[in-house]
Formats: sequence, C-alpha cells, structure tokens
Amino acid sequence: MSAGSVPSGYEVSDPGFPTKEENYLTNSKGILSWMFTLDHKRIGMMYLVGVSVAFLVAGLLALGIRLHLLAPDGWLFNQSIFQWLAPEKAPNDIYNQVFTLHGAIMVFLFIIPSVPAALGNFLVPVMLGAKDVAFPRLNLSSFYLWVAGAVFFVMALLASGLDTGWTFYTPYSTTTDSSVILATTGAFILGFSSIFTGLNFIVTINTMRPPGMTWFRMPLFLWATYATSIIQVLATPVLGITLLLLIAERTMHIGIFDPEYNGDPVTFQHFFWFYSHPAVYIMILPAFGIISELISVHSHKRIFGYRFIAYSSIAIALLGFLVWGHHMFTAGMSQMTTIIFSALTFTVSVPSAIKVFNWLATMWKGSISLTTPMMYAISFIFLFTIGGLTGLHLGTLATDQHLHDTYFVVAHFHYVMVGGTLVAFLGGVFHWWPKMVGVMYSELGGRISAVLVFLGFNLTFLPQFVLGSRGMPRRYATYDPEFQSLHAMSTYGALLLGVGLFFALGVLIHSLLRGKRAPANPWGGATLEWNCTSPPPFYNFDRAPVVGDPYEFGDIVWDSVQERYVKIEPKREVVPETPAEQPAHAGGKDE
Amino acid sequence: MAPATMSLLGDYTNDFAFFPESASTFSADIDWVFYFISIVCLLFFIPIIVALFGFAWKYKKDKGLPAESQKDHNTTIELVWSIGPSFLLVVMFFFGARGYLSQRSIPEGAYEIGVKSMKWSWAMDYGNGVIHPELHVVVGEPTKLTMTSDDVIHSLYIPAFRVKKDVVPGRYNYMWFKATRPSEKVAKEELDRVTQRYKETGDAWDYDREQFTPDGYRFYDLYCTEYCGTSHSEMQTVVVVHETREELEAWIKKYSARPEGEEPAVYGQKLYERRGCKSCHSLDGSRMVGPSYQGSFGTMRQLADGESVRFDENYVRESILYPKAKVAAGYQPVMPSYKGQLSDDDVYSLVEFIKSLGDPSVVAAAEGDSEEGADETSAADGEGSAPAEEPATQDDAA
Repeated sequence: MSAGSVPSGYEVSDPGFPTKEENYLTNSKGILSWMFTLDHKRIGMMYLVGVSVAFLVAGLLALGIRLHLLAPDGWLFNQSIFQWLAPEKAPNDIYNQVFTLHGAIMVFLFIIPSVPAALGNFLVPVMLGAKDVAFPRLNLSSFYLWVAGAVFFVMALLASGLDTGWTFYTPYSTTTDSSVILATTGAFILGFSSIFTGLNFIVTINTMRPPGMTWFRMPLFLWATYATSIIQVLATPVLGITLLLLIAERTMHIGIFDPEYNGDPVTFQHFFWFYSHPAVYIMILPAFGIISELISVHSHKRIFGYRFIAYSSIAIALLGFLVWGHHMFTAGMSQMTTIIFSALTFTVSVPSAIKVFNWLATMWKGSISLTTPMMYAISFIFLFTIGGLTGLHLGTLATDQHLHDTYFVVAHFHYVMVGGTLVAFLGGVFHWWPKMVGVMYSELGGRISAVLVFLGFNLTFLPQFVLGSRGMPRRYATYDPEFQSLHAMSTYGALLLGVGLFFALGVLIHSLLRGKRAPANPWGGATLEWNCTSPPPFYNFDRAPVVGDPYEFGDIVWDSVQERYVKIEPKREVVPETPAEQPAHAGGKDE
Repeated sequence: MAPATMSLLGDYTNDFAFFPESASTFSADIDWVFYFISIVCLLFFIPIIVALFGFAWKYKKDKGLPAESQKDHNTTIELVWSIGPSFLLVVMFFFGARGYLSQRSIPEGAYEIGVKSMKWSWAMDYGNGVIHPELHVVVGEPTKLTMTSDDVIHSLYIPAFRVKKDVVPGRYNYMWFKATRPSEKVAKEELDRVTQRYKETGDAWDYDREQFTPDGYRFYDLYCTEYCGTSHSEMQTVVVVHETREELEAWIKKYSARPEGEEPAVYGQKLYERRGCKSCHSLDGSRMVGPSYQGSFGTMRQLADGESVRFDENYVRESILYPKAKVAAGYQPVMPSYKGQLSDDDVYSLVEFIKSLGDPSVVAAAEGDSEEGADETSAADGEGSAPAEEPATQDDAA
C-alpha cells in the first residue's frame, strides 16, 4: 500500500464536517449558554481559558523572580517603580510575595486542574464514546468552585499579599500578618473543585464505558486519568483538614502546630505533604497519559507494553501515598522513619522508568511524523528523564543532606512539573486543538514553539542544578556574588522560555483567525475522539460506537487529496442507506 | 574515596564547579555518592537520549507509510528493564543510608556549641555567656551543635561541610561534623588596613566583600535554608575553623565580656553588629524591618496601640528584653526577646550605644528625667521581676 491511496475493495468512512447546529461551539449562542452549560466540552474549554489565564499570571510572576535575581543584591524589585507601587514593602518582601504567589497559583490554579480538568473534561467522555460525564451538574459546579478559589487568591493578593511560600509552613504561617486565611480558604475551595472532578471521572469511567471497551481496551489517557482521580479523591480531603486546622490555630490559638501554644510545627509538614506529595502525581500522571497517546499516534504504531504502562499508573498512584516523608529528611525525624521513607521513595522511580522505556520501544520501527505534538512529546521524554533521574540524588539520604532546600531541588521539580507536565499539556493542547476548536494551526509555527520552549527551559533550569550542588539555598531574594553568572544564565533562559510560550499562544490564536478547517482525524489516531467530527457535535456520537483496539492503526490510511486520515473498511455487498446520511461509523468492521 | 580527578570539579574559584570546597569529613563521602549516582544516571540518560533522537530521525517517515513493525510487547525485555535497574537503586539507597547514619551518630565527647536561631540572625552559645553570631570550631575535633529556634523554623546549612539540619522552635535538633581544613588568617597589615577603613566609615562589616572576618580569618559560608521571611536570604553567618583548641579558646575569651577600659558605647556597637540588631535596625535613618536608631534617643515615640512613650533607657531596655510590650507604630511585632541572652552589662552597653546616636541636645534633656529610672531598672532586674508579663504580650504577635 503506497502513501495516500485507498486499496481496492475498501471504502472510506469519514464523518465529514459538523453543521453549525451540530457543532458544540455554535449550537447555542450567548454568554449564558456558556455560563450555564452542562456540556463537558464547553466546561473543558472554560477550564482551558481559566487555567491559561492563571498560567499567564503565574508565569509573569516567575519572570519577575528571575529578573530580580539578575544581580546578587536583587535587581527588579529594587527599581524605584516598586517603591512607588508598594511603599510599605522592602524589595525582599515583594520578592517573597512574588515567589509565594508564583508557586501557589501554578500549583493550585494551573498544574493540578490543567490536564484533568481542561483536557480531561473534554476528552474523557469522547474517548468513552459517551454523551457526557456521569454528573454534568457536579462538573459545572467544580468549575465554579475553581473560579471561587481563584477569587480568594486574588483577594489575598489585594488584601495584604501572601508571603508564606505555597507550602504554608507553620509557625511562619500562623504568625505572619499576610493574608494566610484568605489564601488557605481559596486552596480549601480549590480542593473541593479537584475532588468533584476526580469523583466524576471515577464514576464515568467505571459505569459509562461503551460495549467492547474492557478495562484493558481503554486508551491509556483514561487509565492515567483514572489513577489521578483516585488520588484526588483520597488525598485532597487531608489538605482540606490541614488548612482548616491552620485557620483554627490562627483565629482561635488552638495549639496544634505552633509551639507557642504547645503545638508541633513538624506535624503540619507531615499533614501537608501527605496530600501534597500525592498531589505531585496528580500533576504528572495525566501528563504520562497524554504522552502515551501522542507517542503512539504520531509513530502510527501500537503502544508498547500497554499493560505495564496501565499498571504502572496505578502503582504510582498507590506508592505516591507512602513517600511524603522525603520532604522532611532534614527536619529531624527519627533515623528509622527517615531510612524507611528513603527506601520507599526509590520504589516510585521504577514505574516511572518503565514508562520511559515503553515510549521509546513504541517509537522503535514506527512511522514517525515529527508534528508539533510529537516534538513536544519528544521534548517531554528528554526533560522528564532528567527530572526523574535527578530525583535519585534527592532520594539518597546522604546527598540529600547537602542538596535539600537548595536550587538542586528547584531545578529537579521544575524539570518534572514544567518539563514534564507543562510540556505534555502543551503537546496535548496542540494534539487535540483541531478536535477542540475545529481548525488546524501552522505546523511550522508549532514546531518552532516546541524548539523555543525546549531550549529556553533547559537554559533556565540546567544551571540551577549546579547552583544547588554548589550550595545556593532556595527562596533567597539576594545571594552571594559567586553565584551570579549561573543566575544570569537562568534568567536569560527564562526570557527565552517566555518568548517560546508566547509564540505558542500566537500560533494558536492565529489558527483561530486563519486556520484551515480541521478534518475529523488529522493525525491518524485510533481512539474514539477521532471518529466524530472536528469539533464534535453537541452529543458527541449519534449512537454509542462499538469499540475496537485503541491502538490499531492498520485500517487508518492517509488521504493525501483532502489531507486527512480516514478509516477504511471492506466494501459491503449491500448499502442500505445513502452514505451521506450515515455519520460516525465507529469500528464498523466488527458489524 | 573520590577519584582525584573529580576533586578538580570542586574548585570554588571556578564559576561552574559542581561543589563548593570540601572542608569536613562528610564532604568526600557525600561527593563520592553524588558522583556515583550521577554516573549511573548518565549511563541511563545517554542511551535513552540516543534512542529518542535516533528513533525520531531513523523512523521519520512520510505520512501514510505504515510502521515497520506493530510489535506491542515482549515480556522478557519488559521484565528486564523493570527489575534490572532496581539493583542499582538498592546500591544507591545503601550508600545513602550509610552516609546518613554517620551524620546522625554523634561521637561521645564532641565539643558542644549551642545554636539559637531567630529572625534573622544566629546566636552561637560557647558557654559562660559568650554568644557570637560566627561559628568557631577546631579542626579535626568532632563538634556537636544543639539547636533550637526562638520563632519560626530555620535551617542551618554549611555547604563546605555538606551538613544541614532544620532548627525548629519547641524542640532541640542536633548536628555534628568534623572540620578538616583550618581557616587561613589574612596578613596583619591587610587586616589593620581594612579594620581602619571600617573604623573611619562606621559601616558594618561586609563579609562578602572582604572575604574574611573582623578577626582576620577566612571562612566558610553558613546559610539559613528554611524560608523564614523578609531577611531570609541575609540570615547568613560564617564558620571559622581554628588550628588548635587553644586558639579557639583564646578567641572565645576575647568575646567573653566587655574588655577592661572599653567605653560601653563602643562595646555596644560591637554587640549591635554581632548579636543580630543590625539585620533589622539601621544607624543611618533608613527604614528596615525595625525602626532606625538614628536620632531616636530622647524623643517621644508613637506606639502601635496609639499610646506614646519617651525613648529613654527604660524603653530601650524593655524593648530588648520584652520587644512585644511596646511596639513602634508602623512596625510589626517580630523582634525576638533577648531575655537571658544578654548580660546586664551588655544591655547597658547597648543603651549607651543607642544613646550615642541620639541628637545630643535631646539626649541631654532626657538624661535628667530618666536617671532615676535607670537605677530602678537594674534593681528590678536583680529581683528577676519583669516589667510586663511575657505571655500577655505575645498576643500582639498573632
């Protein structure tokens, strides 16, 4: 079979384009039709806009951090404009608030909801061939809880800022006069938003899989989402409880964490990380799911080691609950506890490594298209591998004594959270963009953005590993002059990363204005979302599709005339209806 | 244990060296483990990246061409790459735990130094009332630090020794190390020249700029590595390693009390620099975390609760010992108490120093009013009674 031809004896099945009435974006009009929508796709799009705004704000704060660290005594916040803006605050105070808000907004408002709530909301029902999630109203309320949480963060910022670091460590957080209560209330509400989303997905995946989709015929993105949802439902309540205790201590002086009232400050760290370490996997597991889809589709090859990848997601979700203590290796835990946590920490690295090997084996002997999503996926594997491997230096107790709370840690988790989750998120957005909005973007532009983000990111964070191993502590507004050249490199990298991200945004906005209409299946994917039109009709599928293997690419061929992938099926003897009236044939060959 | 070539990477003068200089018995062990893990990581990373870019280049095909293979599993190879690396993880864990245990097993008879941390300074307690922000130890002698915090959590980190431990309020955390490289002393001429310069300008000693202590020792950096607020990044001090125990004891003696014949105000300035006052109070009128001392003495001071009070000996003394009792308007009640950490003479010297910064005419006018009060204060201290109940005043902080 040569490129771009349909073999004889086969016919093409393609849903074509949606009409204006079918298209979920245009089937009803007006702001209220969005605000009160129960359509998971619209909720997903609203999340996408929301988390992107949060990311923009937190990203600009990150640039502020980097620009301040250009000089040993600080640069940006020493400028006179900041004295005019905030005359009560010293440059150090501004820096402390900026890094706190950068972390808090990135974690609570961007990374945690980014993949599950934005992409997941759009994709989970479509991948299941379903009309919607199990509880559409819960889904909408989860979005509004996110908005309410964001409002509390904005109020905290406007009231007196927040200077505790996103970790709210006691007794600093119980004694500072910044808006801790507003911010923790915001985080508390966001926790419920996260729980609602997780609960919804668990029920949806358990009960709404179509005929033929057994657990092991689910796309891996659904496995990853399922594992994530379990963590969201089990761990987030602990964060809620912890933040309530913190608020109780601040307002009523009940002695829990503050030694002044006979509390124990390290208890807070245990409570906090019992949620926040699993939360790290809330952030990275969905990214693994995206990468499994991207690598397989753009290599046009079956995913290698499906069961190992699926099980490793569950293993990470469970093991992730047992390693929180590694955030406290220097806090003065007992020796035995410390050593046990170190041993458990090493076990988490195994399932992560399995995934990397499986992705590489999927690329082996594939038919790789270096599209924008594939370039982001390759970038992800590179960066996540560094992030994962440098975790070994921190899990090892002896080296952690030196590296704990230095820039080595900062670099490590940015390689995982940004090089991992953010890059996978961008890859996912570029991969599903044609499906979500129905237009193609400039491939060249998309690839340039992937390269800029990759280079900018490495230039920002590779020097930070060296800063850390040389002893530069994190969360410093000023630093010793010997660290300046590495800090300057990092700052220039951050600017390049910023250029790359704005470039990616420009490519997407340009596609909305000038992009070509997207076919149903631009990449040759075999999961169900590529069987409905781009963008999907309001009800996704006219009838529940019968499901085949999500990674079977044998019956998908490239149609070079119309620049689309189409599913081919053996010509049938009798054609009962006219093909124009027969939309969305999924897995038709089983019929 | 580290191969000799690797120590080249640990050159502090090189901007891009991996490690700071190594100056304790832990350094070599920890660096060795670090390099071991790094080499194992590279052994994995390089093949992964070669495969990643190699496959992307080799199997890049035009659209529509099918993949060469649709092979989707191979149980043997999957088990090998799942279980194989685990053995290396066990080795890493073992070296890590061994290094950690040696840091936690404090030898009997180690030289003990107390450490107290507060926003934003360090107080090293050498016994007999000698408290100094610099950490002074003896080469080759195990040293044990018993650490606690006055306010929030801090963390004591000496990169050159590769040691770090959180300093937590309400409990004692311990750390020990054995320094291996004594600090050099700078030439006497240079020390005299620089000391003279500081005497003329009246500036506080700039460790970063001079790269040696006011006593003429080169030093190792000591950082706070647990975020603790405004001046977290300035909460630094230095470690000096002496050649002999006698040298250390001579140094301690030098700081044991106000030297015979030294003016209290002069000694007060030294305490101001040494005991953490200078991280929050300026001498030139500029606003820091706390109010400046310049021209304050003898004036009326507006308080946060709306009252006002004369800035006199009593007020200075009370503010040092019970800082939350009368907080100046516009400032936060964040100063830690120095009760029990300063001798009567120390407080007296500080009062005299702050008085010397006041406007002379105002000071003279205030002197007459408060002489009686000053006597009362020292009498009250002898009886151990407090001008204000400490727990009651703590509420101001919340």
